[in-house]
Amino acid sequence: MEVSFELNGEPVTVTTEPYVSLLDMLRDEMGVKSVKKGCEQGECGACTLLLDGAPVTSCLVLAPQVEGRYVTTIEGLEKNPLMIDLREAFIENGAVQCGFCTPGMLMSAYALLRDNPHPGMDEVKRGIEGNICRCTGYTKIIEAILDAAERIAPE
Amino acid sequence: MRPLPRFQYHAPKTLAEAVQLMDTLENAKPVIGGTDLVPLLKEAACRPSHLVDLNNVAELNYVRERDGFICIGAMATHSQVAASELMRRAPAVVDAVSRIGSPQIRNRGSVAGNLCNASPAADSAPPLLVYDAEVKTVSSGETVIVPLPELFAGPKINCLEPNELVTEIRFPVPPGSSSSSFKRIARRKAFTLSIVSAAAYVEMDGDICNEARVAFGSVAETPIRAPEVEKLLSGTELDSKTISEAAEAAKRSVAPVTDVRGTAEYRKAMCGVLLERTLHAAVGRLS
Repeated sequence: MEVSFELNGEPVTVTTEPYVSLLDMLRDEMGVKSVKKGCEQGECGACTLLLDGAPVTSCLVLAPQVEGRYVTTIEGLEKNPLMIDLREAFIENGAVQCGFCTPGMLMSAYALLRDNPHPGMDEVKRGIEGNICRCTGYTKIIEAILDAAERIAPE
Repeated sequence: MRPLPRFQYHAPKTLAEAVQLMDTLENAKPVIGGTDLVPLLKEAACRPSHLVDLNNVAELNYVRERDGFICIGAMATHSQVAASELMRRAPAVVDAVSRIGSPQIRNRGSVAGNLCNASPAADSAPPLLVYDAEVKTVSSGETVIVPLPELFAGPKINCLEPNELVTEIRFPVPPGSSSSSFKRIARRKAFTLSIVSAAAYVEMDGDICNEARVAFGSVAETPIRAPEVEKLLSGTELDSKTISEAAEAAKRSVAPVTDVRGTAEYRKAMCGVLLERTLHAAVGRLS
């Protein structure tokens, strides 16, 4: 079957099967390797991307379910000012160790700050509660997100 | 790599089309968020021949008030319900759905799916039970209203016929003098299944609690109401003595099992603790 959707602002059409997950379609059929394959049951958050702007775990989305919809991976936010702030804050705060969780973590952090530019510590923790990191112990990641929030220019 | 078993995929755009597909296809399963179903497919714990995706059935996507009921369309996600202005009138429901899974799960999973999955630990169940919720279903063009307790036929078993679709969950608009609270005990706040969960609803007339309703999750084969506890609380001032007695009754009223998440003794004890906490929180919300 064919699935047509918008990936990072570009219309794409992919030949796939209904029993393929969005994660597998992106990685194996489209070469988008920034969405990481971790638990494959929606619990680790490594495959987080934005579907119509909302963070979801792409391992639980079936390929045909994105027909006519908007998919954003970290590549699509490369020049986004908020994502640039987040990326720099992650680097400067030591929020990246092995890096496997980083793309998913950045997508969750991006959605959090986009909707709530000045979150408290608890709100940050809730924003990333669906993303597991086995290296940092989360402290550096939380600090980086709070730091990025401070970099956001007041409206 | 965990490949999904093969199935045929259908994406109806109207409820009428969805009903027709469910009526005619053999071994068909409806899907909304897939947050429970996709892992089951991967484990081959569920092997449908057809998936009927309800995500494009826009007429099932709402949270609205109608004919004296607050109605949740089958497609409404946990995030949508949690953010709904209307749902502030039923705070226990918001307590539950705003903490189910993770943001990613709440953006995909639906309240209807959480209920139909019929897990004894479904967090949306105890709050909806205390609001006397009912479920609207349709099959072969026939609409049926099922009281929520009857939806739960056993652990992970619902009472629905293979072709029966849930279209809506609804409960009477609560009076302004009422409030509620839902709390759970689990290993961590995100994701984990509740070891015990509880919801309490109170309707106050001055200092007197005219009506109290209590429900527990993860302590029986299905989420359950606790009528004997409700009787002790209704018509009282909810003074500390009454609440302690009700907490004791709550412990006696449940017969949980011991499993990997917790022992039966712990679960019983926590029913008492959560009853007190949810009652205080519900009353606190009215002051």
